[in-house]
Amino acid sequence: MKNIVSKIFAFSLLVISVFLSSCEKDLPTQANYLAYTYSKIDENGGSWTPVLLSSADQIAIPVPEAVGSSAFQEELAFVKSESSSLSGEQLDAVEYWTNNPALRWNEIALELIAKYNLIPGPNADDTYTLPNPANPGEVPYFPFAHPPYAVRALSYLSVAQFDGLISAWHYKYLYNRPSPGLADNSITAAYVENNIPSYPSDGAVIAAVSRDILSVMFPLEKDYLAERAEEHMSSLIWAGANVESDISAGAFIGEEVAKIALARASTDGMSKAQCPKPISDSLQAAAFDRFGWKWENIEIPARPVGLTPLFGQVKLWNVPNVEVVRPPVPPAPGSAEFEESVVALKNYADNMTEEWRAIANYWQDGLGTYTPPGHWNRYAKEYAIKYKLNPLRTVRVFAYLNMAMMDGGISCWDAKYYYHYPRPINLIPGYKTIAGTPNFPSYTSGHSVFSAAGAEVMTYMFPEEGSLFRDYAVEAAISRVYGGIHWIFDAEVGTTQGIEVASYTLDVAKADGAD
Amino acid sequence: MKNQHKIGFILALLSILGSTLMAQTPSDALMMKKKEICIAAMYEHSWFDEYWEGTYLRHNETIATVDRHMVMPMAAIGIVDRLNLIVAAPYVKTASREPNGGKFEGAKGFQDLSLALKGEIFNKEMGKGKLALLGTVSYSTPITNYLSDYRPYSIGFGANELGVRGILQYQLNSGIYIRGALAYLFRGQTKAERDYYYNNGSYYTPWMDVPSAWNYNAVAGIWLFDSSWKIEANYMGLVSTSGDDIRAYNAAQPTNKVDMGVLGVSSQYYFKKLKGLGLLAYYSDTLSGRNVGKSAQYGVGVTYQFKL
Repeated sequence: MKNIVSKIFAFSLLVISVFLSSCEKDLPTQANYLAYTYSKIDENGGSWTPVLLSSADQIAIPVPEAVGSSAFQEELAFVKSESSSLSGEQLDAVEYWTNNPALRWNEIALELIAKYNLIPGPNADDTYTLPNPANPGEVPYFPFAHPPYAVRALSYLSVAQFDGLISAWHYKYLYNRPSPGLADNSITAAYVENNIPSYPSDGAVIAAVSRDILSVMFPLEKDYLAERAEEHMSSLIWAGANVESDISAGAFIGEEVAKIALARASTDGMSKAQCPKPISDSLQAAAFDRFGWKWENIEIPARPVGLTPLFGQVKLWNVPNVEVVRPPVPPAPGSAEFEESVVALKNYADNMTEEWRAIANYWQDGLGTYTPPGHWNRYAKEYAIKYKLNPLRTVRVFAYLNMAMMDGGISCWDAKYYYHYPRPINLIPGYKTIAGTPNFPSYTSGHSVFSAAGAEVMTYMFPEEGSLFRDYAVEAAISRVYGGIHWIFDAEVGTTQGIEVASYTLDVAKADGAD
Repeated sequence: MKNQHKIGFILALLSILGSTLMAQTPSDALMMKKKEICIAAMYEHSWFDEYWEGTYLRHNETIATVDRHMVMPMAAIGIVDRLNLIVAAPYVKTASREPNGGKFEGAKGFQDLSLALKGEIFNKEMGKGKLALLGTVSYSTPITNYLSDYRPYSIGFGANELGVRGILQYQLNSGIYIRGALAYLFRGQTKAERDYYYNNGSYYTPWMDVPSAWNYNAVAGIWLFDSSWKIEANYMGLVSTSGDDIRAYNAAQPTNKVDMGVLGVSSQYYFKKLKGLGLLAYYSDTLSGRNVGKSAQYGVGVTYQFKL
């Protein structure tokens, strides 16, 4: 009998080892791509219209040393010696940053958004404390990277990256200085040669501009970001991609363009968006006077002010003013269209299918995640890789995507606090949801506006994908109804609103000289 | 081996499921004979109105008091005298009590099928009693497509689990006994319905690692009234070997490092006049924890044992 028992245990150990070795899936923490050959190099990129710079040569950099100069030859010798004896860590850095590092910096931005997207909880006395930008390290930490904060951070990041690379492209083709690998064939570059002039370094522009923008958006991460940027810039030497003067000129452009972008950010109205209670109450009262309804936070304890009531007044990128894209008045509670929405919401809740649930969760992008704008940035990254975009074209996608989504967010928040429409849990007695009801009014749905605006830009940038992104946007919109936190008209009108808002950004994109 | 001891399989089973279910009874050291079958139905009610966010004990009116009800049909079968198979499939229902600030829907459904093989390695006279060593190998796997990434309402962690357990008991002839058990629970991955999450960094996948864990029990008990009534006190500890903490005022997720220490009492009664029928009841309280509810729970069950 002892024999049987021991056989059983021996068999079990076998099962354990099979279980451990075969069932665990690899869990990716970043996009899986390596340096690649760009689908095109956009020699005329320096002639594209920047967003914030008055011209591509607004930021002046020194004329580079000639290829034959001793200064340049010394720089080449340094690159040669550095790149020929790399440690494992240095090789990892070279492989990680690739020849399209804007994608990595976008990933870093998304990770910081997810890290800081935590709503402050109540204090012991049932009050709430808001994050304080003047003292970011005090609990609750600054920022609370909610969707409006996230889309704004991403906008400034990618607009500054875009302007920085337009400037870099201008000088690259003005000076035509070859890459180290082409200047000295004894240098073996780690990245595939794309025959784009090396001065100034586009990688260094991206490193410096990303570090500086994100350090202001996430002040507690300043040291971490400086470390990443330093590694990134060093990796350009290790990869044999740039000499030091390429990097210093690129970093200078990055720093200067970041200053210009951050100057705009400092006066764009965001610092006033999370307004005090009297202003918030007056918005609520105005809506009640005008329409006869108002949204209220019903958390326990109730939050005194909704999320960023004045985000609707933040400076727009491409829409002339927020009123031109304000959606129509929503159906009044009790109206036929409203009751239709109630029936639909009850049906989804009572007969929840696995498909609806999966859609609600897939698009939820709620607290602790990279938010809906982050989700669309992730798509932009994946499709930039799929279509092998060069760095300039990559940041162009991000810039227009994020400008359109930020304008969408501003327009959406204008509607939210202008109409101040209640949520399903406010109006349907006993209603329960599978998604968390956010701390702001219902109409229109932020997911719907962000996603529709994002999808319009993505469809323009990747026409080969057909209706894919627009289908995504419609699914993202209805996901909020499946989740039980939005009315059908919040989603449908929000989608229309996002499309309309994005058209202003697309008009700019179509005229920037790239297409 | 006395017949009424066989009811102890229920407790052994509970301990196998214990890390999932926050059950409170320890592994038992008792075996059923060949062709004997014990069937049982358990009901457990567990609730908490505070939980550990990392190591910080949080009260959160968004979820208020979370109730968890479980009904568990079970069967223990004597394959041979020293090797038993235990099978269970709990049905779980969760919800927040009113009033709560979150208005979240609870969850319900059949959770995991659990299979355990338990073998007696030795059982011999020693001094004024008997020393027994047993081993258990258990496997559990979700039997419905429940969503594990819906804390605190998810009905389970949604991953396969393989458990290996050793149980050592010393029982005096007077009926007093002490017992210790130690298990390692290998836990696999669970699939969320989103393909991005934060676990001290970004993850671009719907798959989440559910931390594996050590699980231990320490028990002291006594058999009374000619071995028809058993009372025992038990302590159950669970320590995950990896995982992240719940972030400030944020929802829990399956990747969290879940630890807990639970102190409980349990009692079983075997009817002499109603042959094969038994009752059991228990209560326990979570004394310490990490990324888990500070729950209290009670359970009641009825068992029926017969021979093929």
